[in-house]
Amino acid sequence: MTNFIDYFLGGISSGVIIALMALALVLVWRSTRVVNFAQLAQAMFTTFIALTVRDLTGSWLLALAAALASGLVLGVIVHFLVIRPVKRMDTSGAIIATFGVLIALEAFAGMIWGGDGKAFPPPIRNTGFEIGGRVWPFSPYDLLVVVTVIVLVLALTIVFTRTSVGLAMRASAFNPEVARLSGVRVSRMLVLGWAIAGFVGAVAGVLVAPLTTLSPTAFDVFLVFAFTAAVIGGLDSLVGAVAFGIGTGLVISLVSGYTDSSNAPVVALVLLVVNLLFKPEGVFTHHKARTV
Amino acid sequence: MLTIEDLSVSYGAVQALKGVSLEVPPGRVTAVIGANGAGKSTLMRTLAGLEKPQSGRVTFNDTDITGRKPEDVVRMGIALVPEGRSTIPDLTVEENLKLGGMWRTHAQRNTSLTRAYTLFPVLGERRSLGADTLSGGERQQLAIGRALMTGPQVLLLDEPSLGLAPLIVTQILELVGTMAKDSGLAVLLVEQNATTALRVAKTGIVLNLGEIVKSGPAQEIAQDEELRHAYLGY
Repeated sequence: MTNFIDYFLGGISSGVIIALMALALVLVWRSTRVVNFAQLAQAMFTTFIALTVRDLTGSWLLALAAALASGLVLGVIVHFLVIRPVKRMDTSGAIIATFGVLIALEAFAGMIWGGDGKAFPPPIRNTGFEIGGRVWPFSPYDLLVVVTVIVLVLALTIVFTRTSVGLAMRASAFNPEVARLSGVRVSRMLVLGWAIAGFVGAVAGVLVAPLTTLSPTAFDVFLVFAFTAAVIGGLDSLVGAVAFGIGTGLVISLVSGYTDSSNAPVVALVLLVVNLLFKPEGVFTHHKARTV
Repeated sequence: MLTIEDLSVSYGAVQALKGVSLEVPPGRVTAVIGANGAGKSTLMRTLAGLEKPQSGRVTFNDTDITGRKPEDVVRMGIALVPEGRSTIPDLTVEENLKLGGMWRTHAQRNTSLTRAYTLFPVLGERRSLGADTLSGGERQQLAIGRALMTGPQVLLLDEPSLGLAPLIVTQILELVGTMAKDSGLAVLLVEQNATTALRVAKTGIVLNLGEIVKSGPAQEIAQDEELRHAYLGY
Protein backbone atom coordinates (compact mmCIF):
# COMPACT_ATOMS: atom_id res chain seq x y z
CA MET A 1 0.00 0.00 0.00
CA THR A 2 2.81 2.42 0.81
CA ASN A 3 4.20 1.54 -2.61
CA PHE A 4 0.97 2.58 -4.22
CA ILE A 5 0.92 5.88 -2.31
CA ASP A 6 4.56 6.51 -3.28
CA TYR A 7 3.94 5.85 -6.97
CA PHE A 8 0.78 7.92 -6.87
CA LEU A 9 2.54 10.90 -5.26
CA GLY A 10 5.42 10.50 -7.67
CA GLY A 11 3.02 10.75 -10.60
CA ILE A 12 1.34 13.99 -9.57
CA SER A 13 3.93 16.49 -10.78
CA SER A 14 4.60 14.69 -14.06
CA GLY A 15 0.81 14.37 -14.46
CA VAL A 16 0.17 18.08 -14.18
CA ILE A 17 3.06 18.78 -16.56
CA ILE A 18 1.67 16.31 -19.10
CA ALA A 19 -1.65 18.09 -18.62
CA LEU A 20 0.03 21.36 -19.69
CA MET A 21 1.59 19.69 -22.71
CA ALA A 22 -1.74 18.16 -23.71
CA LEU A 23 -3.30 21.59 -23.21
CA ALA A 24 -0.82 23.09 -25.66
CA LEU A 25 -1.70 20.43 -28.26
CA VAL A 26 -5.41 21.09 -27.74
CA LEU A 27 -4.98 24.86 -28.05
CA VAL A 28 -3.33 24.44 -31.44
CA TRP A 29 -5.82 21.84 -32.59
CA ARG A 30 -8.74 24.10 -31.64
CA SER A 31 -7.34 27.10 -33.45
CA THR A 32 -6.05 25.51 -36.67
CA ARG A 33 -7.22 21.85 -36.72
CA VAL A 34 -3.60 20.78 -36.83
CA VAL A 35 -1.93 18.41 -34.38
CA ASN A 36 1.37 20.08 -33.69
CA PHE A 37 3.85 17.25 -33.30
CA ALA A 38 6.57 19.89 -32.91
CA GLN A 39 4.93 21.31 -29.77
CA LEU A 40 7.35 19.64 -27.40
CA ALA A 41 10.35 20.21 -29.65
CA GLN A 42 9.43 23.90 -29.38
CA ALA A 43 9.27 23.43 -25.61
CA MET A 44 12.66 21.68 -25.66
CA PHE A 45 14.15 24.58 -27.61
CA THR A 46 12.74 27.25 -25.31
CA THR A 47 13.88 25.25 -22.28
CA PHE A 48 17.42 25.25 -23.68
CA ILE A 49 17.13 29.00 -24.06
CA ALA A 50 15.97 29.13 -20.44
CA LEU A 51 18.93 27.00 -19.35
CA THR A 52 21.32 29.33 -21.16
CA VAL A 53 19.76 32.35 -19.47
CA ARG A 54 19.95 30.57 -16.14
CA ASP A 55 23.64 29.74 -16.64
CA LEU A 56 24.36 33.35 -17.59
CA THR A 57 22.35 35.08 -14.89
CA GLY A 58 21.89 32.42 -12.23
CA SER A 59 18.24 33.36 -11.93
CA TRP A 60 15.52 30.76 -12.38
CA LEU A 61 12.83 33.43 -12.70
CA LEU A 62 14.70 35.16 -15.54
CA ALA A 63 15.12 31.75 -17.17
CA LEU A 64 11.38 31.15 -16.87
CA ALA A 65 10.64 34.58 -18.34
CA ALA A 66 12.99 33.86 -21.25
CA ALA A 67 11.24 30.54 -21.87
CA LEU A 68 7.80 32.15 -21.82
CA ALA A 69 8.77 34.94 -24.18
CA SER A 70 10.58 32.64 -26.60
CA GLY A 71 7.69 30.15 -26.38
CA LEU A 72 5.23 32.82 -27.51
CA VAL A 73 7.51 33.98 -30.29
CA LEU A 74 8.42 30.49 -31.49
CA GLY A 75 4.72 29.52 -31.63
CA VAL A 76 4.00 32.54 -33.81
CA ILE A 77 7.06 31.92 -36.01
CA VAL A 78 6.16 28.27 -36.63
CA HIS A 79 2.60 29.30 -37.47
CA PHE A 80 3.59 31.99 -39.96
CA LEU A 81 6.63 30.29 -41.47
CA VAL A 82 5.37 26.74 -41.81
CA ILE A 83 1.75 26.12 -40.97
CA ARG A 84 0.04 28.98 -42.75
CA PRO A 85 1.75 28.55 -46.13
CA VAL A 86 1.40 24.74 -46.10
CA LYS A 87 -2.16 24.71 -44.77
CA ARG A 88 -3.31 26.86 -47.65
CA MET A 89 -2.58 23.86 -49.85
CA ASP A 90 -3.46 20.95 -47.62
CA THR A 91 -4.36 20.34 -43.95
CA SER A 92 -2.75 16.93 -43.64
CA GLY A 93 0.32 18.48 -45.25
CA ALA A 94 0.44 20.92 -42.34
CA ILE A 95 0.43 18.05 -39.85
CA ILE A 96 3.34 16.40 -41.69
CA ALA A 97 5.08 19.78 -41.73
CA THR A 98 4.99 19.84 -37.92
CA PHE A 99 7.13 16.68 -38.00
CA GLY A 100 9.55 18.62 -40.17
CA VAL A 101 9.64 21.39 -37.57
CA LEU A 102 10.24 18.78 -34.86
CA ILE A 103 13.24 17.31 -36.70
CA ALA A 104 14.62 20.75 -37.59
CA LEU A 105 14.35 22.05 -34.01
CA GLU A 106 16.03 18.94 -32.59
CA ALA A 107 18.83 19.29 -35.13
CA PHE A 108 19.29 23.01 -34.39
CA ALA A 109 19.31 22.34 -30.66
CA GLY A 110 21.93 19.65 -31.18
CA MET A 111 24.08 22.06 -33.19
CA ILE A 112 23.80 24.84 -30.62
CA TRP A 113 23.78 23.00 -27.31
CA GLY A 114 25.09 19.55 -28.18
CA GLY A 115 23.38 16.20 -28.01
CA ASP A 116 24.24 15.18 -24.44
CA GLY A 117 21.80 15.39 -21.56
CA LYS A 118 22.24 18.50 -19.43
CA ALA A 119 21.03 19.00 -15.89
CA PHE A 120 18.50 21.75 -15.33
CA PRO A 121 18.74 22.45 -11.60
CA PRO A 122 15.42 23.02 -9.81
CA PRO A 123 14.97 26.47 -8.22
CA ILE A 124 14.06 24.89 -4.88
CA ARG A 125 14.73 21.62 -3.10
CA ASN A 126 13.69 18.54 -5.06
CA THR A 127 14.01 15.98 -2.30
CA GLY A 128 10.82 14.67 -0.75
CA PHE A 129 9.09 16.13 2.27
CA GLU A 130 9.80 14.30 5.48
CA ILE A 131 6.66 13.60 7.43
CA GLY A 132 6.35 11.12 10.29
CA GLY A 133 9.96 10.07 10.06
CA ARG A 134 9.63 9.03 6.43
CA VAL A 135 10.65 10.77 3.22
CA TRP A 136 7.73 10.91 0.81
CA PRO A 137 8.25 11.15 -2.96
CA PHE A 138 6.77 14.61 -3.08
CA SER A 139 9.18 17.52 -2.86
CA PRO A 140 8.88 21.28 -2.42
CA TYR A 141 9.66 21.47 -6.14
CA ASP A 142 6.73 19.14 -6.93
CA LEU A 143 4.55 21.49 -4.91
CA LEU A 144 5.83 24.46 -6.91
CA VAL A 145 5.02 22.60 -10.13
CA VAL A 146 1.49 21.77 -9.00
CA VAL A 147 0.80 25.32 -7.83
CA THR A 148 2.20 26.82 -11.06
CA VAL A 149 0.06 24.54 -13.19
CA ILE A 150 -3.07 25.26 -11.15
CA VAL A 151 -2.49 29.02 -11.43
CA LEU A 152 -1.86 28.80 -15.19
CA VAL A 153 -4.91 26.61 -15.85
CA LEU A 154 -7.11 28.92 -13.76
CA ALA A 155 -5.77 31.95 -15.61
CA LEU A 156 -6.44 30.29 -18.97
CA THR A 157 -9.93 29.31 -17.83
CA ILE A 158 -10.68 32.90 -16.88
CA VAL A 159 -9.32 34.18 -20.19
CA PHE A 160 -11.34 31.68 -22.18
CA THR A 161 -14.63 31.94 -20.32
CA ARG A 162 -14.73 35.49 -18.96
CA THR A 163 -13.10 37.72 -21.57
CA SER A 164 -14.05 38.88 -25.04
CA VAL A 165 -10.81 37.59 -26.51
CA GLY A 166 -11.50 34.18 -25.00
CA LEU A 167 -15.01 34.15 -26.41
CA ALA A 168 -13.66 35.19 -29.82
CA MET A 169 -11.08 32.39 -29.68
CA ARG A 170 -13.64 29.77 -28.72
CA ALA A 171 -16.06 30.94 -31.41
CA SER A 172 -13.26 30.90 -34.00
CA ALA A 173 -12.51 27.31 -33.01
CA PHE A 174 -16.10 26.10 -33.09
CA ASN A 175 -17.31 27.94 -36.17
CA PRO A 176 -14.88 30.25 -37.97
CA GLU A 177 -17.45 31.38 -40.52
CA VAL A 178 -19.96 32.55 -37.93
CA ALA A 179 -17.13 34.18 -36.00
CA ARG A 180 -16.01 36.13 -39.07
CA LEU A 181 -19.57 37.15 -39.86
CA SER A 182 -19.79 38.48 -36.31
CA GLY A 183 -16.74 40.65 -36.91
CA VAL A 184 -14.05 38.51 -35.24
CA ARG A 185 -10.67 38.62 -36.97
CA VAL A 186 -10.33 34.85 -36.99
CA SER A 187 -6.85 34.75 -38.55
CA ARG A 188 -5.53 36.75 -35.56
CA MET A 189 -7.22 34.32 -33.19
CA LEU A 190 -5.34 31.45 -34.87
CA VAL A 191 -2.03 33.22 -34.32
CA LEU A 192 -3.03 33.86 -30.73
CA GLY A 193 -3.85 30.16 -30.33
CA TRP A 194 -0.35 29.19 -31.51
CA ALA A 195 1.21 31.84 -29.30
CA ILE A 196 -0.63 30.72 -26.16
CA ALA A 197 0.14 27.07 -26.96
CA GLY A 198 3.82 27.98 -27.32
CA PHE A 199 3.64 29.80 -23.98
CA VAL A 200 1.98 26.88 -22.20
CA GLY A 201 4.43 24.42 -23.76
CA ALA A 202 7.34 26.58 -22.62
CA VAL A 203 6.08 26.52 -19.03
CA ALA A 204 5.75 22.73 -19.23
CA GLY A 205 9.30 22.47 -20.60
CA VAL A 206 10.88 24.54 -17.84
CA LEU A 207 8.91 22.68 -15.17
CA VAL A 208 9.71 19.20 -16.46
CA ALA A 209 13.41 19.80 -17.17
CA PRO A 210 14.60 19.40 -13.54
CA LEU A 211 12.73 16.07 -13.31
CA THR A 212 14.68 14.64 -16.24
CA THR A 213 17.78 15.72 -18.17
CA LEU A 214 17.59 18.19 -20.98
CA SER A 215 18.68 17.03 -24.43
CA PRO A 216 17.37 17.69 -27.96
CA THR A 217 15.24 14.53 -27.85
CA ALA A 218 14.49 14.52 -24.13
CA PHE A 219 10.84 15.52 -24.54
CA ASP A 220 10.00 13.05 -27.32
CA VAL A 221 8.60 10.55 -24.86
CA PHE A 222 6.39 13.27 -23.34
CA LEU A 223 4.92 13.88 -26.78
CA VAL A 224 3.58 10.32 -26.66
CA PHE A 225 2.05 10.93 -23.22
CA ALA A 226 0.64 14.36 -24.05
CA PHE A 227 -0.77 13.21 -27.36
CA THR A 228 -2.46 10.26 -25.64
CA ALA A 229 -3.98 12.53 -23.01
CA ALA A 230 -5.14 15.09 -25.57
CA VAL A 231 -6.75 12.50 -27.84
CA ILE A 232 -8.49 10.62 -25.01
CA GLY A 233 -9.75 13.96 -23.70
CA GLY A 234 -11.34 14.68 -27.06
CA LEU A 235 -8.60 16.79 -28.69
CA ASP A 236 -10.69 19.95 -28.53
CA SER A 237 -11.52 19.92 -24.83
CA LEU A 238 -9.33 21.92 -22.47
CA VAL A 239 -10.92 20.18 -19.49
CA GLY A 240 -10.30 16.80 -21.11
CA ALA A 241 -6.64 17.61 -21.74
CA VAL A 242 -6.07 18.57 -18.12
CA ALA A 243 -8.02 15.64 -16.64
CA PHE A 244 -6.46 12.98 -18.84
CA GLY A 245 -3.03 14.60 -18.67
CA ILE A 246 -3.04 14.13 -14.89
CA GLY A 247 -4.53 10.66 -15.35
CA THR A 248 -1.85 9.67 -17.84
CA GLY A 249 0.86 10.90 -15.48
CA LEU A 250 -0.50 8.80 -12.65
CA VAL A 251 -0.90 5.68 -14.78
CA ILE A 252 2.65 6.07 -16.08
CA SER A 253 4.01 6.49 -12.58
CA LEU A 254 2.19 3.37 -11.39
CA VAL A 255 3.34 1.35 -14.40
CA SER A 256 6.93 2.55 -13.98
CA GLY A 257 6.79 1.84 -10.27
CA TYR A 258 5.35 -1.66 -10.39
CA THR A 259 7.14 -2.76 -13.56
CA ASP A 260 9.73 -0.69 -15.38
CA SER A 261 9.76 2.86 -16.68
CA SER A 262 10.52 1.65 -20.21
CA ASN A 263 6.99 0.17 -20.28
CA ALA A 264 5.35 3.56 -19.80
CA PRO A 265 5.21 4.67 -23.48
CA VAL A 266 3.83 1.25 -24.45
CA VAL A 267 1.07 1.56 -21.86
CA ALA A 268 0.29 5.06 -23.14
CA LEU A 269 -0.04 3.74 -26.68
CA VAL A 270 -2.25 0.88 -25.46
CA LEU A 271 -4.50 3.43 -23.75
CA LEU A 272 -4.60 5.40 -26.98
CA VAL A 273 -5.53 2.36 -29.06
CA VAL A 274 -8.23 1.27 -26.59
CA ASN A 275 -9.63 4.80 -26.69
CA LEU A 276 -9.64 4.88 -30.47
CA LEU A 277 -11.34 1.47 -30.62
CA PHE A 278 -14.11 2.16 -28.14
CA LYS A 279 -14.55 5.92 -27.93
CA PRO A 280 -12.75 7.45 -30.93
CA GLU A 281 -14.39 10.85 -30.49
CA GLY A 282 -12.79 11.23 -27.08
CA VAL A 283 -14.36 11.56 -23.68
CA PHE A 284 -14.95 15.30 -23.40
CA THR A 285 -15.64 16.02 -27.03
CA HIS A 286 -18.17 18.30 -28.65
CA HIS A 287 -18.36 16.26 -31.80
CA LYS A 288 -20.13 13.00 -32.33
CA ALA A 289 -17.53 11.11 -34.31
CA ARG A 290 -14.05 11.41 -35.62
CA THR A 291 -12.71 9.13 -38.28
CA VAL A 292 -9.64 7.14 -37.41
CA MET B 1 -27.94 52.29 -49.10
CA LEU B 2 -26.54 49.06 -50.52
CA THR B 3 -26.18 49.02 -54.30
CA ILE B 4 -25.27 45.97 -56.33
CA GLU B 5 -24.20 46.48 -59.93
CA ASP B 6 -23.71 43.79 -62.54
CA LEU B 7 -22.51 41.21 -60.03
CA SER B 8 -21.22 37.89 -61.37
CA VAL B 9 -19.95 35.00 -59.27
CA SER B 10 -18.81 31.58 -60.35
CA TYR B 11 -17.65 28.41 -58.65
CA GLY B 12 -15.18 26.94 -61.10
CA ALA B 13 -17.08 26.34 -64.30
CA VAL B 14 -20.48 26.91 -62.70
CA GLN B 15 -21.72 30.47 -63.00
CA ALA B 16 -23.91 31.06 -59.95
CA LEU B 17 -24.72 34.75 -60.56
CA LYS B 18 -24.79 36.48 -63.93
CA GLY B 19 -24.83 40.26 -63.94
CA VAL B 20 -27.18 40.84 -61.02
CA SER B 21 -28.06 44.47 -60.20
CA LEU B 22 -30.31 45.58 -57.39
CA GLU B 23 -30.70 48.12 -54.62
CA VAL B 24 -31.44 47.58 -50.97
CA PRO B 25 -33.02 50.75 -49.62
CA PRO B 26 -33.33 51.52 -45.89
CA GLY B 27 -36.53 51.19 -43.88
CA ARG B 28 -38.00 48.29 -45.78
CA VAL B 29 -37.68 44.64 -46.67
CA THR B 30 -36.50 43.68 -50.14
CA ALA B 31 -37.21 40.04 -50.92
CA VAL B 32 -35.25 37.92 -53.36
CA ILE B 33 -37.19 34.79 -54.23
CA GLY B 34 -36.42 31.87 -56.46
CA ALA B 35 -36.14 28.10 -56.55
CA ASN B 36 -33.31 26.04 -55.16
CA GLY B 37 -30.09 26.75 -57.04
CA ALA B 38 -31.23 30.14 -58.30
CA GLY B 39 -28.16 31.77 -56.77
CA LYS B 40 -29.86 33.33 -53.74
CA SER B 41 -27.37 32.12 -51.15
CA THR B 42 -24.46 32.98 -53.42
CA LEU B 43 -25.76 36.52 -53.65
CA MET B 44 -25.94 36.80 -49.86
CA ARG B 45 -22.57 35.20 -49.26
CA THR B 46 -20.93 37.47 -51.80
CA LEU B 47 -22.47 40.58 -50.24
CA ALA B 48 -21.19 39.47 -46.83
CA GLY B 49 -17.69 38.93 -48.22
CA LEU B 50 -17.62 35.14 -47.97
CA GLU B 51 -17.35 34.69 -51.75
CA LYS B 52 -15.29 36.77 -54.14
CA PRO B 53 -17.15 38.07 -57.19
CA GLN B 54 -15.81 37.56 -60.69
CA SER B 55 -16.96 40.98 -61.80
CA GLY B 56 -19.37 43.71 -60.77
CA ARG B 57 -19.49 46.16 -57.91
CA VAL B 58 -21.04 46.40 -54.48
CA THR B 59 -21.26 49.87 -52.95
CA PHE B 60 -22.46 50.78 -49.50
CA ASN B 61 -23.11 54.42 -48.64
CA ASP B 62 -20.95 55.41 -51.63
CA THR B 63 -18.02 53.22 -50.56
CA ASP B 64 -16.91 50.40 -52.83
CA ILE B 65 -16.93 47.26 -50.69
CA THR B 66 -16.52 44.68 -53.47
CA GLY B 67 -14.40 41.75 -52.35
CA ARG B 68 -13.85 42.94 -48.79
CA LYS B 69 -13.41 40.40 -46.01
CA PRO B 70 -16.50 39.35 -44.02
CA GLU B 71 -15.10 40.75 -40.76
CA ASP B 72 -14.66 44.15 -42.44
CA VAL B 73 -18.05 44.09 -44.16
CA VAL B 74 -19.85 43.46 -40.89
CA ARG B 75 -17.88 46.22 -39.18
CA MET B 76 -19.12 48.63 -41.85
CA GLY B 77 -22.72 47.79 -40.96
CA ILE B 78 -23.80 44.87 -43.15
CA ALA B 79 -24.72 41.78 -41.16
CA LEU B 80 -25.55 38.37 -42.62
CA VAL B 81 -27.66 35.72 -40.93
CA PRO B 82 -26.55 32.73 -43.00
CA GLU B 83 -28.73 29.84 -43.99
CA GLY B 84 -29.34 27.11 -41.44
CA ARG B 85 -29.58 28.89 -38.06
CA SER B 86 -26.00 29.90 -37.64
CA THR B 87 -25.66 29.70 -33.90
CA ILE B 88 -22.77 28.09 -32.09
CA PRO B 89 -24.26 25.27 -30.00
CA ASP B 90 -21.17 24.99 -27.77
CA LEU B 91 -21.66 28.54 -26.48
CA THR B 92 -24.42 29.87 -24.25
CA VAL B 93 -27.21 32.02 -25.61
CA GLU B 94 -25.65 35.18 -24.20
CA GLU B 95 -22.18 34.25 -25.52
CA ASN B 96 -23.67 33.77 -28.98
CA LEU B 97 -25.11 37.27 -28.76
CA LYS B 98 -21.98 38.83 -27.29
CA LEU B 99 -19.95 37.41 -30.15
CA GLY B 100 -21.61 39.95 -32.42
CA GLY B 101 -20.00 43.36 -32.50
CA MET B 102 -17.01 42.88 -30.22
CA TRP B 103 -15.30 45.88 -31.78
CA ARG B 104 -18.09 48.21 -30.58
CA THR B 105 -17.97 50.18 -27.35
CA HIS B 106 -19.17 48.62 -24.13
CA ALA B 107 -22.16 50.99 -23.99
CA GLN B 108 -23.21 50.27 -27.58
CA ARG B 109 -23.03 46.54 -26.96
CA ASN B 110 -25.06 46.77 -23.76
CA THR B 111 -27.77 48.76 -25.55
CA SER B 112 -27.88 46.19 -28.34
CA LEU B 113 -28.01 43.33 -25.86
CA THR B 114 -30.94 44.87 -23.99
CA ARG B 115 -32.67 45.46 -27.30
CA ALA B 116 -32.12 41.86 -28.41
CA TYR B 117 -33.65 40.60 -25.17
CA THR B 118 -36.62 42.96 -25.63
CA LEU B 119 -37.19 41.80 -29.20
CA PHE B 120 -36.73 38.14 -28.33
CA PRO B 121 -37.79 37.67 -24.69
CA VAL B 122 -37.22 33.92 -24.86
CA LEU B 123 -33.49 34.55 -25.35
CA GLY B 124 -33.43 36.59 -22.17
CA GLU B 125 -35.05 33.76 -20.24
CA ARG B 126 -32.44 31.30 -21.50
CA ARG B 127 -29.40 33.57 -21.59
CA SER B 128 -27.13 31.29 -19.56
CA LEU B 129 -28.22 28.04 -21.18
CA GLY B 130 -26.35 26.38 -24.02
CA ALA B 131 -27.57 27.37 -27.46
CA ASP B 132 -28.00 23.65 -28.18
CA THR B 133 -30.99 23.61 -25.81
CA LEU B 134 -33.00 25.99 -28.02
CA SER B 135 -35.69 24.97 -30.47
CA GLY B 136 -35.31 25.69 -34.18
CA GLY B 137 -37.34 28.89 -34.02
CA GLU B 138 -35.44 30.10 -30.97
CA ARG B 139 -32.13 29.44 -32.68
CA GLN B 140 -33.22 31.51 -35.65
CA GLN B 141 -34.10 34.31 -33.25
CA LEU B 142 -30.68 33.93 -31.68
CA ALA B 143 -28.99 34.08 -35.09
CA ILE B 144 -30.88 37.27 -35.94
CA GLY B 145 -30.13 38.64 -32.48
CA ARG B 146 -26.41 38.04 -32.98
CA ALA B 147 -26.53 39.89 -36.31
CA LEU B 148 -28.35 42.81 -34.65
CA MET B 149 -25.64 42.94 -31.96
CA THR B 150 -23.28 44.18 -34.65
CA GLY B 151 -25.40 47.33 -34.98
CA PRO B 152 -26.14 46.87 -38.69
CA GLN B 153 -27.64 49.29 -41.17
CA VAL B 154 -28.26 46.41 -43.55
CA LEU B 155 -29.50 43.01 -42.46
CA LEU B 156 -29.06 40.10 -44.89
CA LEU B 157 -31.39 37.22 -44.04
CA ASP B 158 -30.68 33.99 -45.89
CA GLU B 159 -33.65 31.61 -45.91
CA PRO B 160 -34.79 32.15 -42.33
CA SER B 161 -37.87 29.94 -42.85
CA LEU B 162 -35.85 26.79 -43.56
CA GLY B 163 -37.17 23.94 -41.43
CA LEU B 164 -39.39 26.13 -39.25
CA ALA B 165 -43.13 25.83 -38.60
CA PRO B 166 -45.17 28.31 -40.73
CA LEU B 167 -46.51 30.15 -37.68
CA ILE B 168 -43.00 30.80 -36.35
CA VAL B 169 -41.81 31.91 -39.78
CA THR B 170 -44.64 34.45 -39.99
CA GLN B 171 -43.84 35.74 -36.50
CA ILE B 172 -40.14 36.17 -37.22
CA LEU B 173 -40.64 37.79 -40.62
CA GLU B 174 -43.29 40.18 -39.32
CA LEU B 175 -40.94 41.19 -36.55
CA VAL B 176 -38.21 41.85 -39.12
CA GLY B 177 -40.66 43.91 -41.19
CA THR B 178 -41.60 46.02 -38.18
CA MET B 179 -37.96 46.48 -37.28
CA ALA B 180 -37.15 47.75 -40.75
CA LYS B 181 -40.02 50.21 -40.66
CA ASP B 182 -39.32 51.47 -37.13
CA SER B 183 -35.55 51.73 -37.15
CA GLY B 184 -34.77 52.40 -40.80
CA LEU B 185 -32.95 49.11 -41.16
CA ALA B 186 -32.45 47.91 -44.73
CA VAL B 187 -33.38 44.24 -44.97
CA LEU B 188 -32.51 41.94 -47.84
CA LEU B 189 -34.47 38.74 -47.41
CA VAL B 190 -33.80 35.67 -49.47
CA GLU B 191 -36.53 33.04 -49.48
CA GLN B 192 -37.77 29.95 -51.18
CA ASN B 193 -41.02 30.43 -49.31
CA ALA B 194 -42.25 33.22 -51.59
CA THR B 195 -45.72 33.80 -50.13
CA THR B 196 -44.56 34.76 -46.65
CA ALA B 197 -41.55 36.67 -47.90
CA LEU B 198 -43.56 38.81 -50.30
CA ARG B 199 -46.10 39.57 -47.58
CA VAL B 200 -43.58 41.45 -45.45
CA ALA B 201 -41.52 42.83 -48.35
CA LYS B 202 -42.02 46.06 -50.21
CA THR B 203 -40.04 45.02 -53.28
CA GLY B 204 -39.81 41.56 -54.77
CA ILE B 205 -37.05 40.27 -57.00
CA VAL B 206 -37.24 36.92 -58.76
CA LEU B 207 -33.94 35.17 -59.33
CA ASN B 208 -33.63 32.23 -61.73
CA LEU B 209 -30.41 30.41 -62.62
CA GLY B 210 -28.33 33.36 -61.50
CA GLU B 211 -30.26 36.04 -63.31
CA ILE B 212 -32.95 38.48 -62.26
CA VAL B 213 -36.01 37.68 -64.28
CA LYS B 214 -38.42 40.10 -62.67
CA SER B 215 -38.48 42.82 -60.06
CA GLY B 216 -41.19 45.13 -58.84
CA PRO B 217 -43.56 45.87 -55.97
CA ALA B 218 -43.92 42.76 -53.83
CA GLN B 219 -47.69 42.69 -54.18
CA GLU B 220 -47.50 42.60 -57.95
CA ILE B 221 -45.00 39.79 -57.92
CA ALA B 222 -47.13 37.85 -55.46
CA GLN B 223 -50.15 38.09 -57.77
CA ASP B 224 -48.31 37.23 -60.99
CA GLU B 225 -49.47 33.66 -61.52
CA GLU B 226 -47.44 33.05 -64.64
CA LEU B 227 -44.27 34.02 -62.84
CA ARG B 228 -45.11 31.68 -60.00
CA HIS B 229 -45.63 28.74 -62.31
CA ALA B 230 -42.53 29.45 -64.33
CA TYR B 231 -39.96 30.14 -61.63
CA LEU B 232 -41.29 29.26 -58.23
CA GLY B 233 -42.92 25.98 -59.08
CA TYR B 234 -46.34 26.23 -57.47
